[in-house]
Amino acid sequence: MRAGLICLALTILATASAHADDLQKLSQDPKQWVMAAHDYANTRFSPLDQINTSNVGKLQVAWMFSVGTRRGQEAAPLIVDDTMYVVSSYPNKVFALDPVSGDLKWTYIPYQDRAAQGVACCDVVTRGIAYDDGKIFLATLDNHIVALDAKTGREQWSTKTGDINLGETTTDAPLVVKGKVFVGISGGELGVRGRITVLDENSGKIDYVAYSTGPDKDVKIGPDFKPFYDFMKGQNLGETTWPPDAWKIGGGTVWGWFSYDPSLNLVYYGTANPGPWNANQRPGDNLWTSTVFARDPDSGEAHWAYQLNPHDLWDHDEIQENVLLDLDIGGKTRKVLVHPGRNGYMYVIDRQTGEVISADPYDTVNAYKGVDLKSGRIIPNKDLEPDLGRMVRDVCPASPGAKDWQPSAWSPRTKLLYVPHQHLCMNFKTSDVGYIAGTPYVGATVDMFAGPGGYRGEFMAWDPVQRKKVWSIKENMPVWSGALVTAGDVAFYGTMDRWFKAVDAKDGKVLWQFHTGSGIIAQPVTYQGADGVQYVAVLTGVGGWPGVVANAQVDPRVRNGALGFTGATQDLPTYTQGGGELLVFAIPKPAQAAGGQPAQPK
Amino acid sequence: MKLVKAAAAFLLLASPAFGQPNTSSQMGLPVEPNASPRSGAGLPEIQANPGGVAPFSASANPILHVPVSDLHPGNVALSAHIDNPLADDPQAVTRGMRDFNHFNCVGCHAPNGGGGMGPSLSDRRYIYGSSAPNLFLSIYQGRPNGMPAWGDVLPESTIWELVAYVQSLAEPAGKNFGRTISRAPPSPDIQQTPTEYVQTTHPWSFTEPFSNGQQPSGQ
Repeated sequence: MRAGLICLALTILATASAHADDLQKLSQDPKQWVMAAHDYANTRFSPLDQINTSNVGKLQVAWMFSVGTRRGQEAAPLIVDDTMYVVSSYPNKVFALDPVSGDLKWTYIPYQDRAAQGVACCDVVTRGIAYDDGKIFLATLDNHIVALDAKTGREQWSTKTGDINLGETTTDAPLVVKGKVFVGISGGELGVRGRITVLDENSGKIDYVAYSTGPDKDVKIGPDFKPFYDFMKGQNLGETTWPPDAWKIGGGTVWGWFSYDPSLNLVYYGTANPGPWNANQRPGDNLWTSTVFARDPDSGEAHWAYQLNPHDLWDHDEIQENVLLDLDIGGKTRKVLVHPGRNGYMYVIDRQTGEVISADPYDTVNAYKGVDLKSGRIIPNKDLEPDLGRMVRDVCPASPGAKDWQPSAWSPRTKLLYVPHQHLCMNFKTSDVGYIAGTPYVGATVDMFAGPGGYRGEFMAWDPVQRKKVWSIKENMPVWSGALVTAGDVAFYGTMDRWFKAVDAKDGKVLWQFHTGSGIIAQPVTYQGADGVQYVAVLTGVGGWPGVVANAQVDPRVRNGALGFTGATQDLPTYTQGGGELLVFAIPKPAQAAGGQPAQPK
Repeated sequence: MKLVKAAAAFLLLASPAFGQPNTSSQMGLPVEPNASPRSGAGLPEIQANPGGVAPFSASANPILHVPVSDLHPGNVALSAHIDNPLADDPQAVTRGMRDFNHFNCVGCHAPNGGGGMGPSLSDRRYIYGSSAPNLFLSIYQGRPNGMPAWGDVLPESTIWELVAYVQSLAEPAGKNFGRTISRAPPSPDIQQTPTEYVQTTHPWSFTEPFSNGQQPSGQ
């Protein structure tokens, strides 16, 4: 009996690790794209090089597919075993398509509570789906995690992980690690208590929940927890760095990216802003909001944390991607994570310890005066403190930060990080706000506008070792799409004013661009089809926080709309409307007609 | 159950007449006020309660006569004349503005009703109707795509204050049927003076040139 138990335990262990190995291995197959961020390190680098700097100018549309919704499309398509999986904005339909022909294999329609749309802060987007072990994992806006048979689209299980009547929605792309589905929660503008929920991929049972605020046991802070900096050492700081009970409605939501280092067995992710935005109502550091966590995926226990913005004043979430790299710094190879901060600083952090190696501004910053590497604390600009009811002018970066959710890409060939981001400043005024469950809990009036120079976005290449911008392309609108870079030394991104662009990864020269049907705020991917051809795919369909002025009933003449983003993108409707469509590009074979092919009788 | 039966009987009786052309108004002509009586609508005689006595009387509740649709079968419009009971209270709009902030309406519909999480209230476009009772019902009952139902939370007087304020946010009616959006010539060419500069119950009284995403003048 005992031997049987041990045997069983070993089998379970073996199965669990096989899962991790499988997805890790799959992600190394250059033909596929098996998770939104391409790989556990979140590089968004593809080793494919058929499309390169010399021929990218010949890219043409191979096929298209309408996802049938007009709100913002932020998701990345997945390509697994010669099937492409695409998810739309609310109601989050999932489509399985042939990656070469574009034929539709199956469609899954979740029957969501449509009232969920009313508690989604910043358009009804999703950032993607996940795959593992023959299953697709969908996170719906109304907080259902659903497992689908990847072959048939049949529902395997669904588990509810949040409540719209508490203002909770789910918008992040889940990630599967060791047979567990990791998913966050959104609603930092509605007093949602941030957390991750971790589910068994086979049963849908919740394995554990790790909160971003509250007592240590809820945050899963225990004996393994060793933060690098003193200000994060102590008991129950997720409770004591708040006014009484404020942590229960204090935000720290999780709606960005998970990354995973199999060798250290640590999962990394960032938490969002504290609530409400009016910081006068929550004296204290407000741990563990605006924080990067490193956790053991098996137990959920935190190993270290680093709070980027103690007592955040400006809605500076830190949910951005943590790109896991091994870099030669100061003559040593350091295992780091690179985190482009919403606060405008590019962080290089030791991913074993949480020590900040460097933090350098990559856009206009006046809200802070730098990061003190000794204490680990960012230095706020006292002149801009938003006392209650006092209008503070020209704060940079604005609330969405120098960069929001839109993920960067890293090329091991150029050793550069390709960062899509925005360039915005704002006027900001706080007011008292009361908490009413299921309604916005903000307490700030915001009015954003273009930063110095009048442009609103930038696509830049950053060298994290030299700690400098190598090249950049200034864009009229915020660059709200993700980045992709390939071994062909081509980087791809899209713009809100309807351009899909390919640029030389070495110098930023624009090599090709295509005017799409709607603006782009999604994540481009690349893959190789069964026909041996390299394809590039991206969803179009403008939206997201900066884009609701063009895809929903939002008045461009009222600058404080959309939590102040209307001010910065009020002219977007003169460039684009909403409308979700997948575009797939390839270089046509010489005999093929441009932009299509002669119909063949079957 | 009785209600369902009554409705079915009504449909059976009434359906042949529904396809008949409506003679009381014609396309291409200016709209005339039309008090079309039921007898002139081509509807057959209808027995009021074929299954017996209805469990409640909708006609006793005037607010139930407020249509949310502009389509009236048989061209017989529901008639409801419900005015905001606070119409003569000059302070109602100011209290409504305070309520709009206190109850976090501002979080979704934005300062001055510019819209964001919820639809704008500033441009005379209302998904569920623009009359005072339409707005009252939208707040009271909620609406299915994300508007919460406030009826059990707020006193009716507060909802009427909100209605007064929401109506003060709407831009004055212009002469155009639609709206043109273009970069050159610029359209729109004005924006409201943002609320960090001016807080007012009548935001369309304070405007400045449209700034295309650049810093506002705040004048």
